[in-house]
Amino acid sequence: MSAILLIVVPLLAAFISILFKKASPYILLIVSFASVIVLGYIELEVITIGGFASPYGINLVFDQYSLIGLYIVNTLFFLVVAINCVKFKEMSTILLIALAGLNGLLLTGDLFNLFVFIEISGIAAYLITATNKNPLATFNYLVAGTVGSSLYLVGLIILYAMFGTLNMADMANEIAVSGVDASLVAFPFLLMFIGLGVEAKLLPFNSWVKGILASSNKLTGPIIASVYAATIGFVVGRLLTSVFVFSDTLGLVITIILLASIIAGEAMAFSSNKVREILLFSSIAQAGLVVLVFLQGFIGWGVFLVVANAAGKFILFTVTNHASDELGTDEVNDLKGLFVNNKIVGLAFTVASLSAIGLPVFLGFVVKMNILGDLFAEGNLFIPAVILITSVVEGIYFVRLLIKLWYKEHDLPVVQYDFIIKYVVVILAILIMVFGVYTAPIETEANDLDLISFVEGGNL
Amino acid sequence: MLQYVAIVLIMLGLYGLLTQRNIIKIIVSLNILEIGVNLFIVSVGFVDGGLAPIFTSTYNSSVDFSFVDPLPQALVLTAIVIGVGTTALGLALAKNIYQKYGTFEIDEMGEE
Amino acid sequence: MKNFLALLLTLFLGYMIIASLSNNEAFPKYGEADVSSRVSQRYIDRNVTENPGEVLYGEATNLESGSANTIAAIVTDYRSFDTLGEVTVLTVSALGVALLLGGAKQSRIELNFKPNFMLRVGSRALFGIILMTGMYISIHGHLTPGGGFPGGSMIASSLLLLYLADDEFRANIKGVKVIQSVAGSAYVIAGLLGLFIGTYFLENLLDTAVLGDLFSAGMIPIIYVLIGFKVGSEISRIIDNFLTEESV
Repeated sequence: MSAILLIVVPLLAAFISILFKKASPYILLIVSFASVIVLGYIELEVITIGGFASPYGINLVFDQYSLIGLYIVNTLFFLVVAINCVKFKEMSTILLIALAGLNGLLLTGDLFNLFVFIEISGIAAYLITATNKNPLATFNYLVAGTVGSSLYLVGLIILYAMFGTLNMADMANEIAVSGVDASLVAFPFLLMFIGLGVEAKLLPFNSWVKGILASSNKLTGPIIASVYAATIGFVVGRLLTSVFVFSDTLGLVITIILLASIIAGEAMAFSSNKVREILLFSSIAQAGLVVLVFLQGFIGWGVFLVVANAAGKFILFTVTNHASDELGTDEVNDLKGLFVNNKIVGLAFTVASLSAIGLPVFLGFVVKMNILGDLFAEGNLFIPAVILITSVVEGIYFVRLLIKLWYKEHDLPVVQYDFIIKYVVVILAILIMVFGVYTAPIETEANDLDLISFVEGGNL
Repeated sequence: MLQYVAIVLIMLGLYGLLTQRNIIKIIVSLNILEIGVNLFIVSVGFVDGGLAPIFTSTYNSSVDFSFVDPLPQALVLTAIVIGVGTTALGLALAKNIYQKYGTFEIDEMGEE
Repeated sequence: MKNFLALLLTLFLGYMIIASLSNNEAFPKYGEADVSSRVSQRYIDRNVTENPGEVLYGEATNLESGSANTIAAIVTDYRSFDTLGEVTVLTVSALGVALLLGGAKQSRIELNFKPNFMLRVGSRALFGIILMTGMYISIHGHLTPGGGFPGGSMIASSLLLLYLADDEFRANIKGVKVIQSVAGSAYVIAGLLGLFIGTYFLENLLDTAVLGDLFSAGMIPIIYVLIGFKVGSEISRIIDNFLTEESV
């Protein structure tokens, strides 16, 4: 079986479901479930499309790195769909196209094809966020996204004019062979980085995030903050570690901007009184951290940071957005005592937030410890210091939030969680705990991933 | 020369995006930006005296000719179509915004 | 003040782009692009998989991509996967416009004028000509400039003409939906046939015949016609959505 089916089958299903409106939620459910199952049966390989070998044709790289990405994205996507497909029937076709776009982003080995998939998944995301009923925020997202992808395209075309190729591996190779000065390619790479930074929620380019996530519902919150964030994390990781070449000065500038992004995100989360805002600012900070880790070249732990974030944010956003959909508010004070009657969901929420802080026994701890250890080993002291301080801030606001959500004597908010939400969040929370204790497989995997050299066609 | 025009168009679009507060004008600025990008893409493949990369019967006899780079032209086709898609979506959103707030001016919409 | 800052910022950015491009010796100056050092030279010579020797119009047979129009060869053969993505972008935005602009049972938005008899008849006569031209351009995409995208837009523009000239006209949206779905699915299925009968997704399975013939280039004209239908139906649906409103 070829990994291209992961893109093509959702696409075909989407085209067919235009005609069968009634059946489309079921088609969506089946296809997204099948995408998860089928992953176990596909061999790792580089797939050539149309019979033209790269760099002339487009190729898809299905290696260990994209396999992990596909597993986490498809699983979370299926869970989102399982929770929401009844309520958002009219979105089915668009969600199918989004699934194809996300799988394409993770698989593609061609820079222009990446642009096409950014647009597919981007336009699908604009439409998914339209269910927030806040058209102005969606419009801002559309403008920001379009400008971002245009900048990416300009950067890519400059690179094409210089090196005459569009394939990622071939581009990295050509740059290495031609021996051009890093400052010459700095500008196009900067443009491409800014373009991706819009989608990756990095600091100066993330004005759209607030409007989208602060009014998010049960569908858009998990999908944008968890599924899309994970995908774009993997894409940025692959480009930063394998294709982009940054000169030292530019690398330093970007590092400083990223650190500022982390600090600003945590500070804004600290000062916010709305649950969704706290979570969205925290995810801005996390996005900055992810890119920073990849920029430092730690592929393995960067991947697991993305995974830990995606799983955690999925739980946090699903739980809060269900509550705020039911109650019509997300002020912390109105949600006080939410978990008194919903202990199971509350426990899962607690696990996810403690893992985000990075307390021991949870996945987040393992990841953060190893990243800090690697940074110290490189003799880098400034970045770990910032990460530690922001973790403390994060700890304060999450614990404060948890205390408010757990304790209240009377006037408890009435929120019923469906059976399916309970199951999903509890299983994810258990996984976060299991891998927080039983760390051996993650550590081997992370070390394996560190060895990949994309230039030579992945780690096949 | 054409490249400078393209860059000027891109910057004009960016300037519009930064300063305009009207939904329709923002969409127009976005389109100017996209046209600039598309022009830039095509300009990258141009060769002086180059011909359109299509084989016809006249090419068999003439020996000394060169084609312009066909790949940017193929890429620009994709970029144009994607631009059409986003513009259509932006206009539909503009209509939604107008239905909700009764105006296209962002400043007049007030806080939600 | 804000405008002035924006002006400064854009001027600075523009200067940065121009300065960094003109100081960049690896970036070719306008008009001096070196095609032979790029991947596109192999597209022009049609020697990505095997070397066919000199490519001559009307003589070369069984090329790896038998379309006389090199751009068509790239769009629908060498980089066909991008085009599939592009068609998907159009689909999702057409669906999105339909979703955003409201549900079923729509009626036409009233025009500001009453179209007279001459206008209605004249536009109907023109409609056929534009439609035919659009079809012609789609079908000849592998030989002449154009192809499925401009052809499809022309088909949609012929419908737009009818919409504008007649305030009661509505296209058969059910039919448009069927075309939208069938043409898209057919493109994917054509790709899957390549995967299951041949080896690669979107492989060109048919004989590519003589370069320059109408019946040549294997799958390219078929895919271009499908794209023509697909683009035509998507844009028609967008037009219909913008020119209708929920009936009161």
